[in-house]
Amino acid sequence: METSLRDKYCIVGVGETEYSRGSGRTTRALGAEAIRNAMNDAGLTPSQVDGMLSYHGGDSTPSTSIMYDLGIRPNFYMDCSGGGSSTEALVGLAMGVIETGMADTVAVFRSMNGYSNIRIGGTGARASAPIGGLDLMKRPYGLISAVQQFSFTFTRHMMEYGVKSEHLAHIKAAHSNHASNNPKALMKQRVTVEDVLNSRWIIRPVAHLLDCCLETDNATCVIVTSSERAKDLKQRPIHILGVQGRGTKPGGDFHYQHGPISRVAGHYVGPRVFENAGVTHDDIDVTGCYDAFTYTTLLQFEDYGWCEKGEGKDYVTSGIINLGGKRPNNTSGGHLCEGYTHGMNMVIENVRQLRGTVDDYCPQAAEGVHSFDYSEGKCRQVRDANISMNMGWGTPAVGSSLIMRR
Amino acid sequence: MPVYQYRGIQINIADNDSEYKGYFDAAAEHRLVVKKCQGCGLLRGEPGPGCPWCTSLDWEWHQVSGKGTIYSYQIVAHTVVPSFRDWAPFAIVLVELDEQRGQPDPGDGLRITTNLVDSNLEPEKEENVAIGKRVEVVFCDGDDGFSLPQFRLSGEPAQGQVWQHQV
Repeated sequence: METSLRDKYCIVGVGETEYSRGSGRTTRALGAEAIRNAMNDAGLTPSQVDGMLSYHGGDSTPSTSIMYDLGIRPNFYMDCSGGGSSTEALVGLAMGVIETGMADTVAVFRSMNGYSNIRIGGTGARASAPIGGLDLMKRPYGLISAVQQFSFTFTRHMMEYGVKSEHLAHIKAAHSNHASNNPKALMKQRVTVEDVLNSRWIIRPVAHLLDCCLETDNATCVIVTSSERAKDLKQRPIHILGVQGRGTKPGGDFHYQHGPISRVAGHYVGPRVFENAGVTHDDIDVTGCYDAFTYTTLLQFEDYGWCEKGEGKDYVTSGIINLGGKRPNNTSGGHLCEGYTHGMNMVIENVRQLRGTVDDYCPQAAEGVHSFDYSEGKCRQVRDANISMNMGWGTPAVGSSLIMRR
Repeated sequence: MPVYQYRGIQINIADNDSEYKGYFDAAAEHRLVVKKCQGCGLLRGEPGPGCPWCTSLDWEWHQVSGKGTIYSYQIVAHTVVPSFRDWAPFAIVLVELDEQRGQPDPGDGLRITTNLVDSNLEPEKEENVAIGKRVEVVFCDGDDGFSLPQFRLSGEPAQGQVWQHQV
């Protein structure tokens, strides 16, 4: 499992559009802007980007259109079907693309109007579409949205380990505090545990409204190239130590036929990515643990081994995950507060953390000067952030992970 | 291709749907079926083409008792499906059938998604929804030949730990 590619590849550019509810533009226009921003961030010209990778759920624009808008002529491109946990996996695939010589520098992007077109929560066209195939066993019962797909796992975990809504609400409160120091965040307002508990129920007993991520219009991009090429570029390169892409539980879509139902894919992905990266939990300074729902985050902390199984509720209420804590999580506010982009914003955030130039409200943030005052409207840079870990979630059965260093 | 309507939703069951057509053909006769492997004889909870355990692609439909226990659940307080709004809040439960519990490995079982309904095929009251409660299949017949397997409380003593959330 140990890989000779450790440190050989880097993320050299990151970029995004505004996170909004109403972009007023196509996913093509959004995608072009995000990739252009990442190219400018890296100091790359169109002729220097010769690979494109994207993921979508029938809700984006293919690389073959957007390459024209950017003046890129790829030696390689591919648009993959996928949602959450695709970002980390595609970073790994980009390394493979470069390693095989198919391309030299690859832009990985996600573009979606997740609020104004194909709504991620399932409202609208998706809810009224005809039903066939696998959906026959779910949608006639009113089971369609993502939180519903995951709730049998969540509820059973709640029974087995005594998780309460209050525990989950701490995750939202922490991420909202982080978002309040992120000028890009769609929802910057700090919320309390009580605010979460007082928001209306979506699915009992596992999700109030504020336990759910934000449907968002946006595009995001990270650019991968070799460490050798990275030396000539604009930014401090962020090295990829280890990556694992879309590991799954037994049974895949039908994981709930097997026990234990409260185990998630991180159980399988975690040991491989740590060995791959050559680091341990103690080496990690900042995490990006996918927060489609607060419960998603808690389950992954357990199954990636940040605590014992069943102790996720203690981990998320201990202060560890807060800015100023031992290992802050989703310092941008994540999907719960910054915006929902199927995982890529958390990778972008960790790249900026490792550069030391997180775009908070510190006046000289771009030069890496931070106050480390985490009160509202101030700093969100983690002090001495050297190694980060992303934990992407597709479903309880599907996950990916990425470990990077400065 | 047979096309049905259920709660305002178009249901398409293709003639060549080798996973689900037989399941709904049986439901129309008020029989609950699962696939049985002709290689190792194990049943499987989702009607795919291959046996997850012995890899055989040979199978036959097998009728089960329609009795089971609630393994997990969700109360849908907010639905994104307009035709379910008059039902909310309603329960969707994961039922573990009595057949083949804990086989072939501990923790395995035949688990299917269903609503928990009352004797009028309307949503069961939330206070009656709990993990561990015993349930039985009932069939919800449409006018056009479509029948949807649903489950209701059977009134038998609960099995294992009984758990429901406290709000």
